[in-house]
Amino acid sequence: MKLIYRIALRLSLALLPLMALWAALFYYAMVGEINDEADDALEDYSTLIIARMLAGRELPALNSGSNNSYSITPVDKAYADTHPHIDYYDANIFIPEKEETEPARVLVTIFTDSDGLYYELKVATPTFEKDDLLAAIAYWVVILYVTLLVITIGLTIWVFQRSMRPLYELLRWLDNYIPGRKTEPIPDNTTVSEFRRLNEAAQRAADRSEELFERQKQFIGNASHELQTPLAVISSRIEWLVDNTPTDERQTVELLKMQRTLSHMARLNRTLLLLTKIDNGQFPESTEVDIAALAREQAELCGEIYASRHLAVTVAASQPLVVRMNESLAATLVTNLIKNAFAHSDKGCSVGIDADAGRRRLRVTNDGSAPLDGERIFERFYQGAKREGSTGLGLALAGAVARYYGLSLTYRYEQGRHTFEVVWPR
Amino acid sequence: MKILIIEDEPSLREVMQRALEQERYVVETAATYAEADAKIAGYSYDCILLDIMLPDGSGLRLLEHIKRLRRRDNIIIISARDSIDDKVEGLELGADDYLPKPFHTAELMARIRSVLRRGRSGGELVLTAGNMTLDVDKVRVTVDGREVPLLKKEFDILLYFMQRPNHLVDKAVLAEAVWGDHADEADNFQFVYAQMKNLRRKMSEAGATAEIKSVYGFGYKLVPPER
Repeated sequence: MKLIYRIALRLSLALLPLMALWAALFYYAMVGEINDEADDALEDYSTLIIARMLAGRELPALNSGSNNSYSITPVDKAYADTHPHIDYYDANIFIPEKEETEPARVLVTIFTDSDGLYYELKVATPTFEKDDLLAAIAYWVVILYVTLLVITIGLTIWVFQRSMRPLYELLRWLDNYIPGRKTEPIPDNTTVSEFRRLNEAAQRAADRSEELFERQKQFIGNASHELQTPLAVISSRIEWLVDNTPTDERQTVELLKMQRTLSHMARLNRTLLLLTKIDNGQFPESTEVDIAALAREQAELCGEIYASRHLAVTVAASQPLVVRMNESLAATLVTNLIKNAFAHSDKGCSVGIDADAGRRRLRVTNDGSAPLDGERIFERFYQGAKREGSTGLGLALAGAVARYYGLSLTYRYEQGRHTFEVVWPR
Repeated sequence: MKILIIEDEPSLREVMQRALEQERYVVETAATYAEADAKIAGYSYDCILLDIMLPDGSGLRLLEHIKRLRRRDNIIIISARDSIDDKVEGLELGADDYLPKPFHTAELMARIRSVLRRGRSGGELVLTAGNMTLDVDKVRVTVDGREVPLLKKEFDILLYFMQRPNHLVDKAVLAEAVWGDHADEADNFQFVYAQMKNLRRKMSEAGATAEIKSVYGFGYKLVPPER
């Protein structure tokens, strides 16, 4: 989830209870205020009626067009003693003029006249419909909420984007960063101290990983170099034994097996050196290379080497696919992809090689039973099943060449076939 | 035939010396740039094996030096750096061949023989085993003067063996030498066997006195007739 979405979500969630609380408070304040006003009016009204009655003057007409109503009932002392003499409450009363029941505010006053008789005066004035008020308030609160939300989030996004720009530029830089590759320097475009520190930390981390990468590369290169001479010595000694001493069959075969293992080691070593060289960019000269011709050649060679597996090989590479690359790197790329397909095909499976000049694409497919780990397949020494004599570096080499030239080299598994595809940009 | 080995690694120097002496070459050795420089100044050699990574200087500089002296010594560069640049620079400076480490001793012998022979015959390289001759440049094989038609792979195989008479060649090594880098990873060497069968048949039909023998099902050996 993007940070800005999270902020927006949290803002809207935080605003929600706040608005609800506010709506409730507002409702009660409103009701209180209205009741207060109504009570004042009722008090005046009842004072007027009581005053007129005690003075023996004519009481106001029951219907004065104001929907106010009153009633006077004589009550006994016991009733007067057990009831409060002034009491406000809400009630629904029937208004004869309208012939309906309406919510009203009622004031009950118990008073005595000069004869000591008790009367109960009930005055009522119709007030507002509470449901209506609630609905209205809810309606407006929702509108307020939405408006506030839109404004708040809009403002937040604007402020966020303006102030967080350095962060996003740093993130973009990190996305593009590949150790060992010349990358542009970290953007330096902010005066905000937190971002400055973040940029500096990223720069330090990048420098460190750059240095480690460099050292590791050098180490592999040096180690491989240093191994060449001892390998040559052992190999020569074994050869000498085989050719110059009387060895019997078992000894000879054993010595030759050692020799094979040794040459496997030597090849591993050579390949590591080659990988180091590719990663160091030590292949400057480029020439025009016909990938289709390379593919045809390699397919024929592999066809011969793996003839005993009776593979069904289809090669579609008649049009020349000419690219500008270092010749030996181009061969490394094509050879390894094709050899890989042959080497990993079981008896009777099919291998497809398709060099498409129009799309500038080489595609190598072969039958497979399960998809490979596309993430790791171009890593060094990643092997599904260990094969005798295999270095586990073939696809890593192909990957390194593709990386070196910025080609897209992809693996996918579709319809039961492993598909490797290299695309050259136009 | 006098050969100078310039190599700083004692063990490798020793095995190279032993192998060369077995082939009846006169061998001298030098472990450093200075030592080599002194030897070259004092004597002339038919072939110099030159390691380009020496403790006190670059073999390439030594090569330059030798060529400046207008010496005719054949030079084979031996390097742990299997790099195109070194190879190109070395050959441009006038080296006759370039052999990356690690190498098979038989390979080294073959290179030395070929360099020496080329030097003698004015560049033409013809190998002989018994009544069979192989002309590298003309891609031609004859037995008692009659041409034996060979396919490309058969010719390559025969050339490989003619350069290494009496040497036991592992099938895997042969596969890599003739079919290329990845061939020795193959799970069986049926393809080597098929070519080999045809080549041996053609040789015996033509009446060649040399024979390629199968050794313990593991490899082959070219055996020229006893003289």
